[in-house]
Amino acid sequence: MFRALYTAASGMTGQQLNLDNIANNLANSSTAGFQQRRVQFSDLLYQNEIMPGSAATQQTTVVAGLQVGLGTRPAATEVIQTQGDFATTGNPLDLAIEGGGFFQVLLPNGETGYTRAGSFHVDAQGAMVTADGNPLQPAVTIPADATNVTIGSDGTVSVTQPGQTQASQVGSIQTALFVNPGGLNSVGNNVYLATTASGDAIVGSPGGAEGLGALQQGMLEQSNVSVVDQFVQMILAQRSYESNSRVVKAADEMLQQLNQLVQ
Amino acid sequence: MDSGYYAACTALKSRTEALDTIANNLANSSTTGYRARHNVFSSVLATTGDRPLSELNTTTNNYGVLSSTRFDISQGSLQKTGNELDLGIAGPGFFSVQTATAGVHYTRNGNFHVSTQGLLVTAAGDKVLGEKGVIAIVGAPVAISPDGTISVNGAIAGRLKMVEFPAAENLESVGNNNYSAPAGTALPATHTTLEQGALESSNVNAITSVVEMISAQREAETMRRVLTMFNNDMDKTAAEDLPRVG
Repeated sequence: MFRALYTAASGMTGQQLNLDNIANNLANSSTAGFQQRRVQFSDLLYQNEIMPGSAATQQTTVVAGLQVGLGTRPAATEVIQTQGDFATTGNPLDLAIEGGGFFQVLLPNGETGYTRAGSFHVDAQGAMVTADGNPLQPAVTIPADATNVTIGSDGTVSVTQPGQTQASQVGSIQTALFVNPGGLNSVGNNVYLATTASGDAIVGSPGGAEGLGALQQGMLEQSNVSVVDQFVQMILAQRSYESNSRVVKAADEMLQQLNQLVQ
Repeated sequence: MDSGYYAACTALKSRTEALDTIANNLANSSTTGYRARHNVFSSVLATTGDRPLSELNTTTNNYGVLSSTRFDISQGSLQKTGNELDLGIAGPGFFSVQTATAGVHYTRNGNFHVSTQGLLVTAAGDKVLGEKGVIAIVGAPVAISPDGTISVNGAIAGRLKMVEFPAAENLESVGNNNYSAPAGTALPATHTTLEQGALESSNVNAITSVVEMISAQREAETMRRVLTMFNNDMDKTAAEDLPRVG
């Protein structure tokens, strides 16, 4: 009897978290390079009142046991790794990654962060930095007098300087790949950190067949949030919450009936 | 005491237990690959040894108890996710996974990942089994055909070990979307196909569950009334009114 109350409560708590996650996805539907997350649920332990396969008599066994489940729990919020749409911006320092791979940035605490948001700028020293001012790794410096910046799909950065007819290479951008990108740790500001679950970064030049992606200059990858899909998920979460709350009410009314036995 | 009183007691108890199962189904309506369980009631005849009971005695001593929970084997809907390591099962099959401590388990949750060792694993970290043991995924892109053959960058990496259970009611739910089965009951899958980039949603039917819930609730209410009737009306008659007669 009381199990139903706690079981329904676990369903309500789970749907609440589901809605939190949907809200975050929708809030970030315009965040460049954002990858939506999805809550993965799994069922909790079961109480075995009659084990399936136990002996019913000396000759026969119980074919279907009496198992009562104890509810659900959110097991993971998993990153959906699909490609977001590309928006043409025309800004030469906007880079989109086609395929897998992440840009590497140096965080203020000395750690390496990974991001798919390729909106870069040039700081006072000429270094390519993210909108938050974190420098790209390995560092690329654009000369102050550069008139034209070209970034190839393999990450080669070349500039044309006044008085020069040929472009000169000033650096090359490398991307990082993870065995399990779903295991990366989101720390906000579009930045991910490597974990033991994601594995160590495999760094290399993009554009090849190693799955490191290919760079597209003048474009930005939009978030991969599908607003329609999130709305559908939101309705499902809401209705599931509602049906679980009805179970709480049903359990409560049954308890009430029990109390009325004693008059 | 009237034996019908105990029959009503048993029925009330079994309905409250039934609500637990319904609550679990509704709580897991968002659990990937979850299989609903339904209550099975059966009658238990209270007898005294081998003596045959009279018809009247049989009626009043036939108790309704919750005897088992039956596995709902109907197909859940396949929901597109776009992740290349998400696999939806169409048909009655299960994936085989190697757990760390409890041997081989079976699951319908095809939300897979690649571990840092480069092996195909479930969200809980259990290794997904292929026909020749664990499956190594090194590189991209990963293509998985409807029959479970996995190709990584064009080269075949293995084939998923899909199994079917002709008697699915033998499966024991162990939580975490996993099931365990008695040895020798898992047969190679023949009626199962896979869809890459999709996940099977829970097969809990919200309408059926709510109807089950309402009937459990109302039946409990009826039993309560029966009990009250025994308690108040009949016993009262026996204890207070009868002595006054005559």
